[in-house]
Amino acid sequence: MKRFLNVLLALVMVISIIPIATNAEGSTLTYWFWADNDKYAATMREMIADFNATNSRGTVIVGEQIPWDGGAYSNTLLQAAIGGGGPDVATFKLTATPSFVNNGLLENLDPFIENWDKKDEINENMYNVMRNASGTDSVYVMPWNVQVLYVYYRPSMYKEAGIEVPKTYEEFLDACEKLTRDTDGDGVTDVYGFGMRGSNGGQEPWGCFIHANGGSFETLDSEESIQGMQDYIDLFTNGYAPPTAPNDGFSQVIDGFQSGITSMTIHHTGSSAQMIEQFGEDVDAFIFPAGKGQWTSMGDTENVMFSSCKDKEAAFEWLAYLAAGKGQETWCTVTGNVPVAASVQKLDHFQDNRFMKVSIEGQSVAGILPIRETTTSWISEWPAITQQALLGETTAKECMEELQALLWE
Amino acid sequence: MGSFDGLIILQKGASILKNVLSHNKKSRKLNAVWPYLLLLPALLFVLFVVAYPIFVAFRLSFMDYDLTKLYKSQFIGFDNYASILFGSSSKRFFNSLMRTMEWVFFGVGGQFLFGFCLALLLNQYFKGRGIVRSLSLIPWVTPGVLIALMWSWIFDGNFGVFNDLLLRAGIINEKIAFLANKQTAMPSVVTTIVWQGIPFFALMILAGLQNISHDLYEAADIDGASAWKKLIYITIPSLRNTIFVTTMLRIIWVTNSVDVIFNMTNGGPANATRTLSVYIYQEASKLNMGYASAMAIVLSLLLMVVTIPYVKNSFSGLEK
Repeated sequence: MKRFLNVLLALVMVISIIPIATNAEGSTLTYWFWADNDKYAATMREMIADFNATNSRGTVIVGEQIPWDGGAYSNTLLQAAIGGGGPDVATFKLTATPSFVNNGLLENLDPFIENWDKKDEINENMYNVMRNASGTDSVYVMPWNVQVLYVYYRPSMYKEAGIEVPKTYEEFLDACEKLTRDTDGDGVTDVYGFGMRGSNGGQEPWGCFIHANGGSFETLDSEESIQGMQDYIDLFTNGYAPPTAPNDGFSQVIDGFQSGITSMTIHHTGSSAQMIEQFGEDVDAFIFPAGKGQWTSMGDTENVMFSSCKDKEAAFEWLAYLAAGKGQETWCTVTGNVPVAASVQKLDHFQDNRFMKVSIEGQSVAGILPIRETTTSWISEWPAITQQALLGETTAKECMEELQALLWE
Repeated sequence: MGSFDGLIILQKGASILKNVLSHNKKSRKLNAVWPYLLLLPALLFVLFVVAYPIFVAFRLSFMDYDLTKLYKSQFIGFDNYASILFGSSSKRFFNSLMRTMEWVFFGVGGQFLFGFCLALLLNQYFKGRGIVRSLSLIPWVTPGVLIALMWSWIFDGNFGVFNDLLLRAGIINEKIAFLANKQTAMPSVVTTIVWQGIPFFALMILAGLQNISHDLYEAADIDGASAWKKLIYITIPSLRNTIFVTTMLRIIWVTNSVDVIFNMTNGGPANATRTLSVYIYQEASKLNMGYASAMAIVLSLLLMVVTIPYVKNSFSGLEK
């Protein structure tokens, strides 16, 4: 009898844990992301932990931070996906869409979005941008947040130079000159007007100059675009940008601005938190002013699901968390990026932030690079080609003709 | 049964098998190939890790193989090679070749010069020589990426310590953007690779120095030879083989080196530091694998020309 009761008890215990064991078993999905700094990386890990603890399917997201590396992230992701070692979901840049879609690597998100209860949180125009990027009628890329490039400036430096915030492109060029100063009278420039990014990633701020002259990415070899390049070269050769500019990347231009070596530089809300921490009220921003045209880069960050993903429903739940759930608010609050979800945009934190306001203002003139198969390669070549022009090896015309041929071949 | 027991059984089994085979007439032939059979696992490993990737690179070099347009991949024969050597990209290729020659000549030359001096110094007895010998290895054991980042900061045009020292010494009046200036970028990266490679030359030459018989120096002292004459007529001739082998190895390694230049200048500014290896890496990073593979094959062929004396020297040494 005693033995029978022991066996019965054991059986009951086993049977009772089976449902728990089954419910506890969710899918494990790998998620690749890049982060601009340690704080953002830590925030992402907290979000992942929060999602893992609260999602409805017991899904476990395993986050892997991959370096952005001036855009090489997209190539790294493509190689991994083609080689079979890629993640299930990943952060993504719109310019890389053709390479991934043409190789059949991304999952079509239309069926998931159609059945998503928060579908209307994201503006239809944003979905259209995603469709256009793929060259199809489907959404392969899930919107997440945007970063609109603007010009950081130091109000105290403007006051010292006796100038106002520029309202036109010509005034901006003039400000670059006037803000370049020898502050200690030793005959050597101590402060430069503009922190130019001549290395990886510099093509986005550079685009502002091209469009301000009436040029465009579609006609890089037009007279207007060439003039934009000439203005860019002149800033460097006239000494209004640091001599290190041809080799300066993201960290150099930010460090230069933060250390007071430059009076202005171009970036987005992603760096605003550290700027406020550094300068308090003595830092502000304006959208790159209009000349014959006006443009600023709409940096985008999206998320994608790979067609090789083992559990697509679980993966979409993670993408939805990031796009319109708690993840949207958390990420955009910490990074200062512009949220895509309407309800999050309306929060006081975003409405009261001066950099966020400038970003939202700039959305009307913000755009992206042409999405072509050649775009990723063009971005890789841009530094070397423009450096040659900055250093006088080629003319502005030769430089722009080469860039035009590379992008539109 | 543990793995150690299994190993003993395997050993005994192989030994028994060998004994049996060696007593069998037919198996004398098998006995002759026994060494090669034992080498087979290592050979297979080398084939898989070395030969197979070379074969794949060779195959890709004859293809238009771009990962961003994989669906357009096709066999194109020698088109990649023609483009590299004679086409619109040939100017870039030969520019990179020139940069490579500068990089190797000054980089390896500097490593040898300073490494030789350091070896002579470390061959002398002085207090703390052991510690100095250990510390002198630091550049060699430090990862290339770390070295590149460190020297990037030293040469930084706004915050670099090198600019600061030069300004304080009154040598310059304003800071120099070493890594953004075409005239100074290559010397800057060469300085870095020289610093990295000194310990290797120093170690190899030091080992060679310690094998030189003291009798030769004693005889030279008796004959009244000066230190310079001892260096020229005893030390350097005795180190000839060591110097030759070490130099050849460093030429190969420095030619193929990417990490220092990539992390300091990424081949810039305006391709002033873009060696062939960096160029190949950049093309491969753009996922144009066919073109990058063709360039890699061309570079390998050029390196083989340089290393033929080394190979000849190695085989002649074996025959002796």
